[in-house]
Amino acid sequence: MNPVAALLASQLPEGQVVDGFRAEAWAVCDRVPRAVVFPEGEYEVAQVLSMASAEGWRCVPSGKGTWLRSGHPPDVVDVVISTTRMDRVLAYEPDDLFITAQAGIGLDLVSRRILDGRQWLPLDPAGAMHGSLGATVSTGSAGPLQAAFGTPRDHVLGVTLVTGDGRLLRLGGKVVKNVAGFDLLKLVLGSWGTLGVITSVTTRLHPVPELDRTLLFQAPEVLSAAKLARAIARSPVSFAAVEVLAPGDREGGDRSTAPLVAVRILESPPAAEMVDRLVCERADAAPIARMEGHDSHAIFENVRAMEDGAELVLRLSLLPSRLLDLVEMAVGLCEIADPDIGWGTRMAAHAPTGVVRVMIARVHRRDGWLEDAVAALASLRLSLESEGGSMVISQGPVEVVQSLGAWGEAGCARGLMRDLQREFDPASILTPARLIS
Amino acid sequence: MRSLLWFLALGGQPGVSRSRHFPDDVGPQLPLEHSLEKNLNGIVGDDWVISDPGRLLAYESDGLTAYRMPPTAVVLPKDTDEVSRVLQLLSKENVPVVPRGAGTGLSGGALAGEGCVVVGTARMNRILEVDSENRLALVQPGVINAHLTDAAAPFGLYYAPDPSSQSACTLGGNVAENSGGPHCLKYGVTSRYVTGLTIVTYEGQVSRIGGFGRESGGYDLVGLFVGSEGCFGIATEIEVRLLPKPESVRTLLGIFDTVEDAGRAVTRIIADGLLPAALEIVDGATIQAVEASVYAGGYPIDAEAALVIEFDGVEAGLGADVERSAAHCREAGARDVRTAESEQERMLLWQGRKKAFGAMGRIATDLLVQDATVPRSLLPDVLARISEIAERYDLKVANVFHAGDGNLHPNILFDRSDADELARVELASKDIMALCVEVGGTITGEHGVGLDKRSYMSLVHSPQELEAMRRVKYVFDPRGKMNPGKVLPDPMVTAP
Repeated sequence: MNPVAALLASQLPEGQVVDGFRAEAWAVCDRVPRAVVFPEGEYEVAQVLSMASAEGWRCVPSGKGTWLRSGHPPDVVDVVISTTRMDRVLAYEPDDLFITAQAGIGLDLVSRRILDGRQWLPLDPAGAMHGSLGATVSTGSAGPLQAAFGTPRDHVLGVTLVTGDGRLLRLGGKVVKNVAGFDLLKLVLGSWGTLGVITSVTTRLHPVPELDRTLLFQAPEVLSAAKLARAIARSPVSFAAVEVLAPGDREGGDRSTAPLVAVRILESPPAAEMVDRLVCERADAAPIARMEGHDSHAIFENVRAMEDGAELVLRLSLLPSRLLDLVEMAVGLCEIADPDIGWGTRMAAHAPTGVVRVMIARVHRRDGWLEDAVAALASLRLSLESEGGSMVISQGPVEVVQSLGAWGEAGCARGLMRDLQREFDPASILTPARLIS
Repeated sequence: MRSLLWFLALGGQPGVSRSRHFPDDVGPQLPLEHSLEKNLNGIVGDDWVISDPGRLLAYESDGLTAYRMPPTAVVLPKDTDEVSRVLQLLSKENVPVVPRGAGTGLSGGALAGEGCVVVGTARMNRILEVDSENRLALVQPGVINAHLTDAAAPFGLYYAPDPSSQSACTLGGNVAENSGGPHCLKYGVTSRYVTGLTIVTYEGQVSRIGGFGRESGGYDLVGLFVGSEGCFGIATEIEVRLLPKPESVRTLLGIFDTVEDAGRAVTRIIADGLLPAALEIVDGATIQAVEASVYAGGYPIDAEAALVIEFDGVEAGLGADVERSAAHCREAGARDVRTAESEQERMLLWQGRKKAFGAMGRIATDLLVQDATVPRSLLPDVLARISEIAERYDLKVANVFHAGDGNLHPNILFDRSDADELARVELASKDIMALCVEVGGTITGEHGVGLDKRSYMSLVHSPQELEAMRRVKYVFDPRGKMNPGKVLPDPMVTAP
């Protein structure tokens, strides 16, 4: 064992530390950590972080490893702390509509545990179903359902956080309304592990809707799909999701690759009928399919999986009213995709929030590709930022992310963020540059 | 002037308990230095610096009228730039600052300690933009909550958070307190709706944080700032999300012989997967107070609880929801369930809830309202234990509360001229908070900590958590001059 792994192993129960080739699967971007630890409780997490603070080891918290290729690439990673062995449900109170679980529990396990209670956690971030609850809230990830249900900040009632220097903080609680002191919980949600390791999460649950229905409309090309989606999203009723889905240009054999608009309705049956009618009026078209129950759910599981196998994933945003412009800019990006490898360029746009995800199977490696890709992306980011929007590189070739930065500008608040980070992680071991470069 | 103020602030509720930390009414403070006043005048204009002791009395307290102390001066800037220049000047002189909206807060948060200058948002009352296409609005902090909904109404939109004081309270105050309201069971509290802020910190530095349609990296500073009770800085522009107005609203009222039965009805409704927009309970003592007043809504005076249930959304689904809820009420033991057929009837069903505070003035000279929160399913048990506490201290408590979110509002009725009773009120109030924390709740759900509950923060937070909050405040306000002596239980530097 290398010295870092050996020192950790000497302090932790047996079997909680790996290094060498077994650490390779936990590389952050392409930086292989010197040790990966699998603590089984919050006190062990605190122990690891205290040691790391004393030794100056750079740490990256992780759940199942879903997000290790995301964020700004760190220069050095010494230790990855995975919460994967902390996967127990600590309390489930169906009458009070909340569940408390350790951070490493998969979203799929949470669903399985609460389905009997006819409740659910309406979070559908991109990525695998088994992605951990802790990582989802730590990255603030949400999918199409955010249009109706919001992001983790609207669901999470409390977390336990171990700060960079090993302090244990219980932030928030288990009640919906709570203004007893400053809202440090909000600060931690979406902080990408740069303030500490989240070890448990209490989240509110929602009643499972009586009817889950998705209407699928087809459009000849993606711009007209975006136009249709905006027309629907502007109607005065609320939808669970309105999503433009454009499959890759080289997608699946003889299947149609015409773009779709998926409108998800979660309501009581009479209300669903009424919303369904209104949507069709707005769309001025009949849907090509109407899916219910499991089939409706399955469509959005596929939306979650759209990033699978992508080398480059971007999140572009502008005000929802600018969705068409945004989609048009996104279409231009297919020039940097390799025309011969994989499925090409996919796109998914949340019409109510004005966020477009662009997924490129592989960036074309022709001569001067890096300069071309960087130039194309830099100019896109510049025009989005100049109009009050943003471009985040969720994942991509390390050299591209490194030269552009994963996140883009954060305005004059960056100094505030840096100072806040230091208060939670005085030794700066939690690779703050992953989020605030 | 004083009584008029508290009417504005509380919709006519009687005076609330006097200070647990402050002595009796304090006289005027030392006047502002002449040169400083002159410089402030130079920024905002002569009319907008108030230093006359008579006029300062209007600012001596907020909605929690127990705590009284007039500020040294009040400055009323008109925009971000003036706020920034005023703060630059005050920070140069080391003068502590207290931000203030309409002064309707219920925790003493807008009270000025010794030497403090109040920076009021009264002139910053413009709605800068209603963007109907993106369902957003940009407002100045002095805009009154209900005025935003009025401005959005022509577009079929509204602003969801609706604190009971919404016809008087400001959006800047709502941001500071992270205000709730009866409809946050379904719609959530203020922080869910604030998407971007322009903030000015003590040294006068202006920062823009958040903003809809932008996902740049970094921390959720907007979420952190909302609910910071004026201790981090002053929000000078606020971007909020608006919602489409629900197509239809249905209200019903269940009448019960015990509060426990009403609590059980709430549990059944939630367990059935229904999500009402509001679920509110008033108890027997409150019903009697309301029915004996000019606000009488026709609730039976021998009932021990009334449950107001409201649904909103697409008309097509509401009838079934109302019927199911009515059935749950009956199965939980309701002796009567009423539904409203018209808007006028709907208002009548709400009467006992909305006028409860006003009506209590008839039965007691003073009132202390708590707002601790508990897990909803524990409501019946907690209410029974609150009755025991009231009995133990020989006090009268009337309960009105947001049952859907477990947010209690026990009102302790008393006479402030009776020193012994006052002491018992303080003990009872601490016992109630301790009880709520013990069962997994918290000391305040929507009124904030302010000055009133800071000494109870350690009931709910460890020393490490309090220290973490202190450090975060330090980042925004290293000199500790923004709203000093509030929220965190450190020694009061401003106590006279």
